[in-house]
Amino acid sequence: MFFQLQLQLPDGGWTYVVSIILISLEVSLTAVGLSTLFSLPIALFVGFTDFPGKHIVTAVINTGMGFPSVVVGLLVLMLLSNSGPLGTFDRAFTPQAMIASQFVLATPVIMSVSLSAVESVEQSVRDAAFAMGGTDLDVGIVVIKEARYGIVTAVLAGFGRAISEVGSILIVGGNIVFSDGQSYTRTLTTAITVEARQGRYEVGLVLGTILLVLVLGVNWLGSWIRSKGRGERSA
Amino acid sequence: MTLTTDGVSLGYGDETVLDDVSIGVDSGEVLTVVGPSGTGKTTLLRLLSMFRRPNAGTVAWHGTDVWRLSDEERLAVRRQISMVFQEPSLFNAPVARNVLYGRRVRHSWRERVRRRVRNAVGDHSMTEAAHTALETVGLLDKRDRNALSLSGGEAQRVAFARALAVDPEIMLLDEPSSNLDPRNTAVLEEAILRAKARGVGVVVATHDMNQAERISDRIAFVYDGRVVESGPPERIFDDPRDQRTKRFVAGDLLYEVDDENALPTSASESPS
Repeated sequence: MFFQLQLQLPDGGWTYVVSIILISLEVSLTAVGLSTLFSLPIALFVGFTDFPGKHIVTAVINTGMGFPSVVVGLLVLMLLSNSGPLGTFDRAFTPQAMIASQFVLATPVIMSVSLSAVESVEQSVRDAAFAMGGTDLDVGIVVIKEARYGIVTAVLAGFGRAISEVGSILIVGGNIVFSDGQSYTRTLTTAITVEARQGRYEVGLVLGTILLVLVLGVNWLGSWIRSKGRGERSA
Repeated sequence: MTLTTDGVSLGYGDETVLDDVSIGVDSGEVLTVVGPSGTGKTTLLRLLSMFRRPNAGTVAWHGTDVWRLSDEERLAVRRQISMVFQEPSLFNAPVARNVLYGRRVRHSWRERVRRRVRNAVGDHSMTEAAHTALETVGLLDKRDRNALSLSGGEAQRVAFARALAVDPEIMLLDEPSSNLDPRNTAVLEEAILRAKARGVGVVVATHDMNQAERISDRIAFVYDGRVVESGPPERIFDDPRDQRTKRFVAGDLLYEVDDENALPTSASESPS
């Protein structure tokens, strides 16, 4: 099957496959990394602080998890297109545009699950940190440490959403491959849509298997980290 | 007195929890705050631990109102006081890291990073104080166990060790043995008396009069947010002057209730 795959692939052969894997990982990992840096402080702030409208903010964050990806892609493209407000940067149909749209899609997931993890840390643990001489920063660090497995889950969920994304990156990235077979904005998911459309189902299946292995690998890593740190409470 | 309250009052909305409370504790003594459940003992300890500012009155450290100090000065005072809660509230980390927490936050950031690196490369040496604290509660052999895997009694003893390991001048213990079996209670009381012998002042909030009799130098009886009576244990037990203290010592007044007529007349009739 792999031999046949090489024969049926467009110009570039395995180089083509490797390049789309690398683009997929580059875009998803960058988007998730940026989203984590953005989401975590907000989740901590919302989790730590009582302010008017907190329930509304939480509801908005949770609602964001259901954003239709094609709508996100359309909005990002409108922002980045030549006539859009960010058109001067000329970033439409680039990996950066794909990162932007995946950032928007992954952020509510990471923020919502992180917030839930932070809020699940018992008040008594925060009190203990304070009573032992901790500053507000020390208490915050304790909360992050106690919520660390939930935060890992949040990042993995965000990665899962980003890497398996099709609609928005197809719109903002354009699914571009160079003439030498190197992917510019084609990812595993958008490549699968191309292969399916062209009737090369076996190629699509191989790409789908690679995608599944990546997602399963990341989830296995998350499960391993969680099981490693889970304490068991006895009587 | 090392740590005192002078006429402190605290309320939440219209509800008054503490009303004009004045108590004090000195180094090397055990002050027990006794009273029915829900009468303000925990709130009093949280005021002493500076979780909240009183609505009126002062909390003083060696005579200085702690709420007139700068944040930095108050932090320095807070670090002379440690507290153990009714629930152990341990962190999801090995016992040794829990016990060392209070000492760790007292280090500079540079020192914390240096110790973290040393720890990562396999240097798990404990400080003398943490070692002694775990030895005091008889759990030195559990130092590498995850704290969340301990039994309730062991966890509470670790919480005590964590509070002791910072070499506090004052320890505040909120119902420290309410969920413990007799053996763990005995270990904890022994640890309290050893801390006292080292010169630590201890404030224990409890509704267990037997425990109060065993460990106290002085007892303050709190009812309805006020200190009704205080004095040495023998006087409180043998010659209580207030009717409510008499009833509490006799085991009648176990729960704080709004309606005086609804007070249970004996322990066996008290609500569960």
